[in-house]
Amino acid sequence: MTTESVIGALKKARSGVGNAGSGKPASERERRRRFTHSRAFVFFVLPSLILLVLLNLYPVIYAGLQSLRNGDLLSAGNFVGLNNYIAMVQTPAFWHAAGFTVVFTLVGVFGSWAIGLGLALLLRTRIPAGGVFKVLLLLPWVVPVVVSATSWNWLVATPQSPLPVLAQALGLGNVLFLADPTLAQVTVCVFKVWISFPFMMMMMSSALASVDVNVYEASKVDGATAFQTFGRITLPMISRSTYISWILMTIFCVNDFPSIFLLTGGGPVNSTQTLVVLAYSTVFQNFQTGPGVAIAFMMTIVLVIIATVLYRQIRKVNIE
Amino acid sequence: MASQSTGSSFSRRGFLGIAGGVAATAALAACSTGGGSGGSAKAIKFWNMPWGGTEFNPLDKKITVAYKPKSGMGAATYQEIQWANFTQTFSSAVASNTGPAVSSGGGTQAFQFAEQGKIAYADNLIDSWKKNGIYDDFFDGLVDTLKTDKGYAAVPYNLDVRISWYNKTLMQEAGVESPTDWDSYRNVCAALKKNGVYGFGLGSGAGSFTGSHILTAFMINNGGGLFNADKKPDCVTPENIEAMDFILDLVKSGYSDPASATYTSANVQSQWKAKKFGFGWDGAGLAAGAVGDVAGDLVVGSPLTSPSGKKGGLYFPNNIMMYKNTPSQAGSEAFLTYYYQNMKELWTKKTGIGLPPLKSISETPEFQADPNNVKIIKEWQPIFKTWAAPGGSGLFYNIANTVDGTAPMITFAQTILGGNTTSKAALTALQTSMEGLMK
Repeated sequence: MTTESVIGALKKARSGVGNAGSGKPASERERRRRFTHSRAFVFFVLPSLILLVLLNLYPVIYAGLQSLRNGDLLSAGNFVGLNNYIAMVQTPAFWHAAGFTVVFTLVGVFGSWAIGLGLALLLRTRIPAGGVFKVLLLLPWVVPVVVSATSWNWLVATPQSPLPVLAQALGLGNVLFLADPTLAQVTVCVFKVWISFPFMMMMMSSALASVDVNVYEASKVDGATAFQTFGRITLPMISRSTYISWILMTIFCVNDFPSIFLLTGGGPVNSTQTLVVLAYSTVFQNFQTGPGVAIAFMMTIVLVIIATVLYRQIRKVNIE
Repeated sequence: MASQSTGSSFSRRGFLGIAGGVAATAALAACSTGGGSGGSAKAIKFWNMPWGGTEFNPLDKKITVAYKPKSGMGAATYQEIQWANFTQTFSSAVASNTGPAVSSGGGTQAFQFAEQGKIAYADNLIDSWKKNGIYDDFFDGLVDTLKTDKGYAAVPYNLDVRISWYNKTLMQEAGVESPTDWDSYRNVCAALKKNGVYGFGLGSGAGSFTGSHILTAFMINNGGGLFNADKKPDCVTPENIEAMDFILDLVKSGYSDPASATYTSANVQSQWKAKKFGFGWDGAGLAAGAVGDVAGDLVVGSPLTSPSGKKGGLYFPNNIMMYKNTPSQAGSEAFLTYYYQNMKELWTKKTGIGLPPLKSISETPEFQADPNNVKIIKEWQPIFKTWAAPGGSGLFYNIANTVDGTAPMITFAQTILGGNTTSKAALTALQTSMEGLMK
């Protein structure tokens, strides 16, 4: 094919004409047909689009307006500008909740990722009854959190519960897993890791499965150790999935209301209160809709920033 | 071809025509009155909560729909409303004028809706009940707990109470009898502790507000409480400090379960069942709960006399309210009169609803058959006070958003039960939080 013929073919392609076509411009009738077709398309899509906008945008706008008012669940209240936001960031409870949200999220994301990745690597090796093992490992994620929280409450709540009895037998004394503020924080973080690692295991398993085996064989030929293979091949190769799972788990952790509320209710003495639990108690226990929604909005802004940073990281990985 | 034929017969125009017809039919159906409305008058919508076990609502519905209105008045329809998100259910329905004409609900709900101008005050109804005998049938002072400056926001329906319970076998084993005052109560706790049993049994964990109720009950028992006569928070008083000092002493002496600050209702019941609680504080339904074989050993204690020489306790008069959004105010009142004259079975058939508001129900043989219930009515009911104590007896709007299941109350209870505070510090923090929530 000569250069001229290639250029000609490209021109045809740009004008929407197939390489083998006649090259004649589309007729008026054809254009009208396409216009009618696209109009029908818009007509059919529009109801869904309107519904989506109403379902998603309307509540967000309404909530945004609520955060600027001093109403409660029954009345809209008066416009107070940014007072709710200012008042909330001036309370120690907000900063305590924000601090614990960070801790809870960091432990939840990286704890579940480390365990999930470890198990995903383990499940790549041939182990007896691997399928059963996989299903059992998925249970904490599959079981409804209400059931999990009730089970954990049974495990740790009273001095006669199995884990306090075990701690007593080990000479650790009367360990108050939920009643001691620090231990309660540890307990809810561990609970979060426990219910989240199967998700990470699934994400990492699928990422590991997509890595070309030839890369590992080549590294073996080059004499790479297992540690070097993991650090310089496995981790970079699964980094895209890792970042995506971190984004998702960050959102899951920051927005996780039931795990904490069912296990401790945010107590004792607010020690396990995260921002989402604080937002709930502000709106539904104290009937302060404006400040509660303001907390939720601030959470959303922070989540969007975190997600944006991590998405950029993903794009960087794609470019590299 | 068949497909082409179908396509041409089911045109877009035809489709829009059918859709329009369906929408019009649905709209007409929605606008029409329900089948149970009876005649031309619109039905009175009655919304009630699941106050008891599974048998409560079916029986309640049966009583409701059996209402035969006088000529020109509407019949009653029944809707069970779940406790989950009930505040949102009521607020959205009332705001959109699609709510009930008559309903029960949260204990302080009537005062919140009254503040919004949505409640039809029950003064006329109360006046009519003074003539037909229903008013005199209420326990003394009960109706007035629902009286506001503008009128009666609601009428009493069932009583949720906070009382003491003990396990008679564990008490016998400890060689003690039911206490009568704070000192003898402390002695009971000490005796029970020797047997590895807790004497100050309660819970204040996730979803459990009982702990904060009990602490408030001790303040009221000592002549204190949370609100003054101006309906303003007044927590840091000598009576309250003395009461909380007493509780802190019980906690620090090891008479309370160290994990109780985070106990749910289920945890509390499991501790009674495990015979770890020998004496404690709960609602009237404790023995009927999941306490296993211990149920038969559980006995209601007598009210304690405080160092101030006073007695007192905390109760929550759950109530029924009428809304302005009704097809007929006279119809709402007529239905409620019928309902109160016929609701006895909800107690005599033991549906699990709280204690009755009417003396006549408490005098029935079925109710008298339970000695614990009889003791509550005889010894506790006369000394009960509401959240409004010591300033008054009538509930009011700010109670809902300052103390009734609010976060500061839970924090206060958990702080006291944790034992690492002073009474004054905890009460001051509570006062500050309540002032912040006042509207």
